[in-house]
Amino acid sequence: MSKTASRPDWADDVSDSEQINDPTALPPPVTTVNKDGTKTTVLYRLDDLGRKVKVTRKTRTTVHKERVNPVVAERREWAKFGLEKGKSKGPQPDTTSVGENIVFRPSRDWKNVQAEEAKTGGGRAEEKSLKEQLRDKKVKCRICSGEHFTARCPFKDTMAPADEGANPAADPLADDEEAKAAGGLGVGGSSYVPPHLRKGGAQAAGERMGGKYERDDLATLRVTNVSEMAEEQELRDLFERFGRVTRVFLAKDRDTGRAKGFAFISFVDRADAARACEKMDGFGYRHLILRVEFAKRTT
Amino acid sequence: MRPVLLQGHERSINQIKYNKEGDLLFSVAKDKVIGAWYTSNGERLGTYNGHQGAIWTIDVSPDTTLLASGAADNTIKLWNIRTGECVKTWEFPTAVKRVEFSEDGKQLLAVTEKRMGYLGTIVVYDVRYGDDLTDQTDEHSLKITCEDSKATVAGWSYLDKYIISGHEDGTVQQWDAKTGESLMVVEAHEYDTTINDLQFSPDRTYFITAGKDKSAKLISSRDLSILKTYVADTPLNTAAITSKKDFVILGGGQAAMEVTTTSARQGKFEARFYHKIFEDEIGRIKGHFGPLNTIAVHPQGTGYASGSEDGYVRLHAFDKPYFDFMYEVEREQARK
Repeated sequence: MSKTASRPDWADDVSDSEQINDPTALPPPVTTVNKDGTKTTVLYRLDDLGRKVKVTRKTRTTVHKERVNPVVAERREWAKFGLEKGKSKGPQPDTTSVGENIVFRPSRDWKNVQAEEAKTGGGRAEEKSLKEQLRDKKVKCRICSGEHFTARCPFKDTMAPADEGANPAADPLADDEEAKAAGGLGVGGSSYVPPHLRKGGAQAAGERMGGKYERDDLATLRVTNVSEMAEEQELRDLFERFGRVTRVFLAKDRDTGRAKGFAFISFVDRADAARACEKMDGFGYRHLILRVEFAKRTT
Repeated sequence: MRPVLLQGHERSINQIKYNKEGDLLFSVAKDKVIGAWYTSNGERLGTYNGHQGAIWTIDVSPDTTLLASGAADNTIKLWNIRTGECVKTWEFPTAVKRVEFSEDGKQLLAVTEKRMGYLGTIVVYDVRYGDDLTDQTDEHSLKITCEDSKATVAGWSYLDKYIISGHEDGTVQQWDAKTGESLMVVEAHEYDTTINDLQFSPDRTYFITAGKDKSAKLISSRDLSILKTYVADTPLNTAAITSKKDFVILGGGQAAMEVTTTSARQGKFEARFYHKIFEDEIGRIKGHFGPLNTIAVHPQGTGYASGSEDGYVRLHAFDKPYFDFMYEVEREQARK
């Protein structure tokens, strides 16, 4: 009993002396006027975690005087009506908002400036980069080395391609395409060349199906003795270690969906393919030992 | 510059108008409500409710006491601008496509639609500014019937001497404002292309027409001679002449029905600025995502507003580069 009497009553504690006893009490804000006319206000508040935060705010008050037509000034005081009736002064957020900043610089050759900006500006990045890439790319005829497409070459019926065979397999798709477009002359003499004698025709008798995306056999490996359970993605992961793989074809049974036991892997680079061939031949995959060799062209 | 977006309308904007001092902007759309806005901060002053159909057109009297609106409910309504009350309704057999106060505000012309056996007309009413604004005449003072091609737009020339009308077939016609006699017809735009807008210069001695034939023409009020032609790459819905600087602003975009099939980039939903004298395009301002239906220029030339099919009104205040821009010859002229 005596113990409780010595302490201040809990009710008093809350009502009167909260400011003094409460350790979380905040000091009142202090405003001082600086020499240069600005005001500094220091105030304290509690943040979300209950920590005390000191906020120092420096404010400068400038008075903007605007002269307006008296009728305009009078109209500013009009009461709102219609749907706005009774609403407070100032723009309402549901009807008025501020748009994004617009830079408007009139110029005489506006169209050129616009084009320039489109080139340098980051607007459509991927579109731009593609254009950039193509800009430095020169068209080179494979017959006469002129600056036109091989198909457009004036000598395409009379001359053989200048550097036949010297081309590395780096760009196989384009290679094949151009060759076909040019109707690639294999033998001189008469202007007509039967399809089976045209360039590439010797191995690939006529045009195969698959259009221009036909596979490039120079950098394609044939993998046999592949497990029935194999997945294309697994094979891709296996072979991707040696270089960029453009295509993985795993023959599958149409009915069961299981692998038939062989696959083709196309590389971008023939050197990668060769390395892969060497390393992966005899590799134990699943329960079988892979056999890897360069694919032969079908005849 | 940062435009202020006014989103008081739920449907496409049909016309916007500044008052004479440029402190208020009025907008009408297909959603039956007229909006009044302060141009300084984009605050909405109020709305005028009472029309039963899409509102096609609006005009403010020169002293900013009366507002006239024409709508698809076949009426013209006069409003007390300050209170938002309707003070007079004139009824017609067909929709009202354009209203305009005369230079002194004492007369109001209206263009009515040709439909259901009625020919298109231009009617003129006298407007009274007494203490009681509801005291207005019921009878029109002049009626012009357009027999061959209906008028789509019309306005008053300098000193309210002529009424100039733009027609559906691309012609511009000059009428005597007192007798209603046809004085002159000019094929201003390509045959059979509608004239969508006609706005006068501040002194009303010349005006600009915006045509569906992708061009805008600057035409003299006195003899209807074509002074300048501004060529755009899209059908134009609106054209305005700026004061202070010698520019014109054109607005358009492909037809509303084709909007959904093309992207905003191809839509050409930009305000195009042309030099009034040299006819060159000098810049564009983007922002809308629908064709621009209407453009109004601040009477002091300090800004402009555009209303679009997308339902937004964008209020722009020009900044320094706009006022600084000059052609070399203009600069030389200024130095002398």
